[in-house]
Amino acid sequence: MLQVKNLDFNYPNRGFVLRSVDLELKPGNIYGLFGKNGEGKSTLIKIMAGLLFPKSGICNLNHTQTKKRSPKTLQEIFLVPENFELPALPISTFEKINSSFYPNFSNEQFYGLLEEFQLHPSNKISTLSFGQKKKVLIAFGIATNTKILLMDEPTNGLDIPSKSQFRKVMASAVDKGQCIVVSTHQVRDLHSLINHVIILDNSKVIFDHPLEIISKNLWFGRATQDMGEVIYSEGPFGGRSILTRKNLDETEVDLELLFNGVLQETQNINQAIKK
Amino acid sequence: MKQDFNLQRVIHFIRRDVTLLKGTWTTGFLVVIVALFLFSMLNMVWDKELASEEFLGIFGLCYIPLGLAFTFSVFREFGHSNTDQLYLALPVSIPERLVSKWFSTTVLYTIAFSLVAIVVGVFAVTVGIILFGVDFSFSAIFSEKYWTIVGTYFIIQPIFMVGAITFSKNKIGKTILSIGILFLGFFLFNLVLFVLFNQGLGVFSNDGLGSVAFDRASSDFSLIGRWFYGILFGPLLLVVAYFKMVEKEV
Repeated sequence: MLQVKNLDFNYPNRGFVLRSVDLELKPGNIYGLFGKNGEGKSTLIKIMAGLLFPKSGICNLNHTQTKKRSPKTLQEIFLVPENFELPALPISTFEKINSSFYPNFSNEQFYGLLEEFQLHPSNKISTLSFGQKKKVLIAFGIATNTKILLMDEPTNGLDIPSKSQFRKVMASAVDKGQCIVVSTHQVRDLHSLINHVIILDNSKVIFDHPLEIISKNLWFGRATQDMGEVIYSEGPFGGRSILTRKNLDETEVDLELLFNGVLQETQNINQAIKK
Repeated sequence: MKQDFNLQRVIHFIRRDVTLLKGTWTTGFLVVIVALFLFSMLNMVWDKELASEEFLGIFGLCYIPLGLAFTFSVFREFGHSNTDQLYLALPVSIPERLVSKWFSTTVLYTIAFSLVAIVVGVFAVTVGIILFGVDFSFSAIFSEKYWTIVGTYFIIQPIFMVGAITFSKNKIGKTILSIGILFLGFFLFNLVLFVLFNQGLGVFSNDGLGSVAFDRASSDFSLIGRWFYGILFGPLLLVVAYFKMVEKEV
């Protein structure tokens, strides 16, 4: 569906932000795009949305370059940016002036999600907090029913109850055939939501695996000495650790531990998964 | 190409702009209504009449600056770092964006402004008749002068459109500065050409020919020059605007 091949990108007069990035995003998946601050997550998301142009390589949606920004391509991509400003209009007017550009937009879904987020269509956007504005945009983005939904730090600005509300909405509202990319540096916020992990470090994709494969090959928890070889551990004695699973029981993937582990032991963890 | 230009999307996009900028445009028109009325009244105080030539002078003073201000306002989303991502991600092609922006700030704006001006003019004359006993002579607004003013606006508007797209801050000031530099460039170019082609006449050897050179450089346009400025300059700048929009990244 969305193909990124050998992609390089740098901002003018600066070093490479992305280098030789290869990705293949498929429908029916929710991808978690992780990385430290300034590692190029937002840049990659913007390239996928056609808002930045690769210096070399390609970014295609269904064999059309996203940088061409053709209406046919843009009708299949919706981006929830990290920072944005919405016009000072009632939510319902905002919906009316923008929804007509998306052929699969569902009014019913949009107003249902607003209700779930405890927002009223007559609320004027300028009177809402940043978190509430983000909820309006998330609801709008989901209701567009585009094939690709890109979210850049969607949980930034949301309070704790809103974060779980976000997870609930995403899990229930998102169509199975959609491809969703959620970029964040707050790994815990995406717990139980994503089914594929992509990690960026030093301008490169250093980890790209489905959650299913990760849990099949790695074990997460507090390890004891007799359990086998520890790939990564956060503390010397009984700290949270990542082990090769072998005969151990399957555990839930600890995203934060996995993220820290991949940054420290990239090669070993990738090898353990490939085995 | 067919999918890249859809008239329905152009109409939606114009409607979107009108909704977003309703407040700004209403304020602008209210200011102009007051200005047109006051200038018309002042004019009638002196000579007890409002000739269409006089009214069109006032019309031009308000019509062009307000139109240019509207041109900058429709590109506000395009140039602002907090709005450009959502704006550029909208499924609207560059030709559709350009056509809708141009159409709303030239054709639609001109129709709306002319209607407002006629209503204000008639109202001002009516008030003038009651207050000052003005002769009713307000006629033929769509005279040659009207079309000259509209034509001038249609030629200079694309320059400001390119300025609105190109600059992210102090757009109006930077555009005017660029026009000033451009004008100076053309002026010097014309001057050099005049001097070169009239070398035999001893240009600058005495004061008379020197001043003639300056006069000619600022006012004399050849037939090609008239065609260029009158017909090609506007569309050429629209092409520049198109490529500026194509190249735009956030």
